[in-house]
Parts: sequence; structure tokens; C-alpha cells
Amino acid sequence: MRSSPQQKLSKSAIKAWRVSTAIVCLVFILIPLFFWVYNTFSPSNTNFSIWLIGSISAVLFIISGLIIFFLPEIRWQHWYYQVDEHEIDLQSGIFVITRTLIPVKRVQHVDTRQGPILRSYGLADVTISTAATTHRIPALDEKTADQVRDRISKFARLAKEDV
Amino acid sequence: MPDLLKKMFEAQRQHPAAALANAFDIIKANFITILILIFVGTGGKQGDYTLYWIFGTFVALLIWGVISWLRFQFSVNEGELKIEQGVFVHKKLYLTSDRIQVIDITAGVIQRIFGLVAVEIKTAGSSSKEAKINAISRQEAEKLKKLLRKGGEQETEEISEKANKIYALDNRDLVIAATTSGRMGVALSIVGAVFSQLDQVISDQEIIRFIETHLPNFTSFSIVVISIVGMILAAWVLSFLSTIITYYDFKVEIREDDLLISRGLFERKQLTIPFNRIQAVQIKEEILRQPLGYASLVIESAGYGEDQGNSNTLFPLISKERMHAFIDEVIPEYHVKVDHTVSIGKRGLRRYILQMVWLSLGIIAVVWSMVPYGVYAWFILPFMLLLGYQQYRDAEVKSGEDTIIMSSRLLSKTTAIIKKYRIQAIEVKQNPFQSRLDLADLIIHVASGNQGRTFKVRELVDEQATAYKDWLANSKRKRQLEADIDQDQSSESIE
Repeated sequence: MRSSPQQKLSKSAIKAWRVSTAIVCLVFILIPLFFWVYNTFSPSNTNFSIWLIGSISAVLFIISGLIIFFLPEIRWQHWYYQVDEHEIDLQSGIFVITRTLIPVKRVQHVDTRQGPILRSYGLADVTISTAATTHRIPALDEKTADQVRDRISKFARLAKEDV
Repeated sequence: MPDLLKKMFEAQRQHPAAALANAFDIIKANFITILILIFVGTGGKQGDYTLYWIFGTFVALLIWGVISWLRFQFSVNEGELKIEQGVFVHKKLYLTSDRIQVIDITAGVIQRIFGLVAVEIKTAGSSSKEAKINAISRQEAEKLKKLLRKGGEQETEEISEKANKIYALDNRDLVIAATTSGRMGVALSIVGAVFSQLDQVISDQEIIRFIETHLPNFTSFSIVVISIVGMILAAWVLSFLSTIITYYDFKVEIREDDLLISRGLFERKQLTIPFNRIQAVQIKEEILRQPLGYASLVIESAGYGEDQGNSNTLFPLISKERMHAFIDEVIPEYHVKVDHTVSIGKRGLRRYILQMVWLSLGIIAVVWSMVPYGVYAWFILPFMLLLGYQQYRDAEVKSGEDTIIMSSRLLSKTTAIIKKYRIQAIEVKQNPFQSRLDLADLIIHVASGNQGRTFKVRELVDEQATAYKDWLANSKRKRQLEADIDQDQSSESIE
């Protein structure tokens, strides 16, 4: 029986995810705000109920608060990965637990990717592509990400086979 | 031969007929959109404009075709195909011969008129590129093919050009295939789209007046039934015809190292699939064919984007008794002795049935609330339950030596035969309801076309799914070890 993968993501992943979730939530909070602005400046009488807008935004506020503060932490706790010379082993998911195994010799190429948020926390995603699928190990710190990428690519080179 | 090769090196244009073929390619790709645009665009009131619409669109497309023909140039240099194209954005595409998976030669209606062929060249992988040369002469196409199949293999190519064996689909089987075709779903949606556009052309009042004057005895209930039956019938005719057109004169030639599949009534398609590019084999038992003892064989091959997503039909209709002989002769490595079988336990049955219950309740709710006489939608419930039970019975994972065989059913039963060393990724997935019952789904990804294909067996016992995952991984490690030992020995013997 194989054991579960052991490696964890970088701890600062939680902070970075909080920021990116916050940005997404902000967009949703903007929607009731838009209606409120429309209400105050609209010349006609066909206004939306201020109570409805108020309660919707309150609910949105609470939900986004919960999502921003708890979800990244829980998500981080459930993410494991491991890379050895034969397989890349990933386990993730809070409710739906997915365990993925990618034979290293199937790997076509490996990327590291970094958006502005990840960069400001010194993090990067590692993306692994096979001929059929694309997988992601999110939010590793830059150095680890580079190492993981280079290791996978080295192993893949050693175990090269046709398609 | 040398001067022929030299000629291919130079950059050259396609035959001018490509302009026409380009235009028709666009029409073909957007056929339904164009159909709807014409219906909506005219709105039924000023029908006179329809002709102008059609004519205008056609002229525009033709001009586009001419420009793209002018901008298109291709050349071959040391086994590398270079294509320059693009009307607004100039694109240069380089394909090297050792990355090329597939070279297809097809002849559509336009190509046939001019005695030409189209050549499609595809590579594999998630960043797959494909190139299409729309109109060149057959000799040039064959030359191109020879040049792009790795340089040194030209002589062996000639030997393997001879077919070892040919399998053909006879007309009786073609008709059976068409009658029981699984394309009903697609056809039904097309017919549905056309029907929904009909009221743009004929107003409701006209229909009601027509019904009142001609069919005074009909209630609205029988009208609903008649229109449903009519739609299904129309869809069936459509799927019948499309199957005949697609699979007319179907032939598989088995050669030294590749399969040559040719088919089609108006458009002759010719595909060459090298044996070593086959990623998986599927046996599909469509719901209408299964009781007759027929199935179809489908192969997944890296670098194909053909019918049914990215798969290719190896044989459209074959009786189950003949199938084993066929597999033995055509793809013998996919005939394996099974030494381990796992089917779904009783706990899994509960989830198969429940899923069907939720699904049918959803459908019933929608139909009941939206359609007159929707109450009768309750009739689907027993059928869905039966389907759920059948799905549970058919789901199974088997394995032998280096092969895993996964059977499952959505509507038709699919049995996928996958070589372990072809697997791109393995997944074990578990949602909270499943983890309470210790069940999990086993998912396997295989390369196919430019995206890949997924095979899934639901509700395996957690341990069994994990055991399979480990088996697939570990034995690979064993293979790896064996390979290492072999290498060591060979290096010793050299010393």
C-alpha cells in the first residue's frame, strides 16, 4: 500500500489565496453597490427596494468574510504533493478528495507560473502537462517551485519514451 | 526522384480550387449558425431578402477564400513542413517530421470536381497543432506524405504499401448500422433547433388555423404526441442518412505498421494510423445495437480530431462473435487474458440508483412545469431506475498482465482496453457521500487527439480503487527495473 504524499505547499499560500479570493469577492460585492448607486441617481421612480439590496449585500459580506478567512487555510491543509523519479503524486480537495498519479515519463513539459499576487508573496505555481491532461501544484515558494520543476524535467528526460 | 524532391522544397501555392474549398470549409463548420442566421435574419416577413442574404454571404466567403489562397504557401525542407498563411495575421507554422502523428488525405466534393485531395497534418499533445493543405493533386499529396514520414524510411514504406488484409463493411451491415445509429441525439438536437426556428417563418395563428380546418377532430394532446413522434422520426431519418454518408464503402486495410481506414460517400476520407500511435481501444455497445449482438470498435490515437470528439472508428458495426477474431488479427496486443476482476458491490448499487432518481426527478420537474401534459414525464422514472441498475451491473474493472479493461455505461456500454504504459494520469476521486460508504471513482486519462480522453468507473470500493492505482504505478516501476537490467546486460555484452 502506498502512503499518501507528504509534501505541503508553502505556508504563505494561505495569504496569497486570501488576497485573490478577496478580489473575487469584491467583484460580487460591487453588484449590489451598483444597484444602490443606480437607486440614488436614477431619475425615474422604478427604484429597487433598499431593504432587498441591503440584505443581499449583508449576506454577501458575511459569506465573503467566511470564504476569505477560512477557505484558504482549509484548502492549504488538504493539499499534498510528492515528486519522485517514477511518479508525481497529488492529493487535494476538501469535500471531494482527488488523488492524482502522473507517471513521470508521460510528462510533456513543466512550467512555473506567477501572477502579480503570487509574485508579491514570492510564490509560483508549477504546471505539469501530459499529452492528455494538465495538472497544477499551486503556490510553492519560488525556490521550491524551481526545484520541483527542474526535478520533474530531469526525471522526465531520464525516462523518455515515445508519446 | 531527386528532381521531384527538389520541387517539393520550394515554396508553393495550392491549386486555385483551394479558394472554393476554403469557402466551403467555413460554410461546413458554421452550417447550423448560418441556417439560424438566415431564418432569423429574414424574420419571415420579407422573404425576398433571403436570397440576397445567401448570395451575399457566399460572395463574401469566396473573396475570403481567394485571399487566403493567395496568402497560403507551403514548403518542405529536410523533413520539416513550413506553412505560411493568414489573411489578417500572418502565421508561420513549422512541423517537424518526427513530431507528426498523422497525415490524412481526404477528398471532399470540391476536391473531387477538380480531381484533387486535401492533406491534413497533425501533431500530438496538449499544444497540438494542425495544418491543412486544402487542394493539391494526389501525386503531390503522396509525395508530401513520403517526405514527411521520416526521411530514411522511404524504401520500407514501399514494401508496407501493400495491404496484408482488408476488412470491409458490407451493405447489409451498413444499413443495420444506420438504422441503429447512436447519432439520434445529435440529429434530435438539430431537428429541435430547426423546429424552434419554424415559428419565425410560420406564425402560431397560421398553424392553429391549419389544424382547425384540416384536422378538426384532434385534441391538443394528440397534437403534442404527433409532433414529438414527428420530431423523433425526422431525427431518425437524419441520423440514418448521415451514417450512410459517413460510413459508405468503409474499409480497413492492415499494413505492416499502420492501419489505413477509408470511408465516405460524398467526401472520401482516408486515415492512416500507425499501430504504435494507438493509445486505447474502445468497444461501444449502443443501446439499440446491443440486443442484436452488435458493437462498434473505436480507437483513440494521439493526433486525431475526427468523429466522436477525438476518437476514430476502427469498425462501425461488428457482431460480437466476429469481434474477438477481428481484434486478434488487427490489434492482437489488445487481446489479453484477464486474471483479475472487480465489480461493484451492493453499497455501490445504492448510489447508482439514487443518482438516477435525482436525475429523473430533475427532468420530471422541468418537463412537468414547462410542457403541457408534462405529468406523463413520470413514465420515465421506471426506465431511469432500470438504466441505473443496468449501469451498476455493467460497471467493472478487469486487468491482465499489462492491460486494464474498464467497462461502464451511460446509455450505451463502453469497454475501454488500455495498455498500462499508455496511461497519462490516474485519479482516485471521492466525495463526502462516497467516503462515508468507503467508495471511490477510478479515473484514467489517455492521450487522444489534442486533448485526451477520460475513462471512469464509478463507486468502486475505496481499497480496490487505490489498489488498482498502486498496481498501475508499481508495475510500471517493475517495468522500469526490468528495462534497467536489460540495459546493463547489453552494455556488459558489448564490453
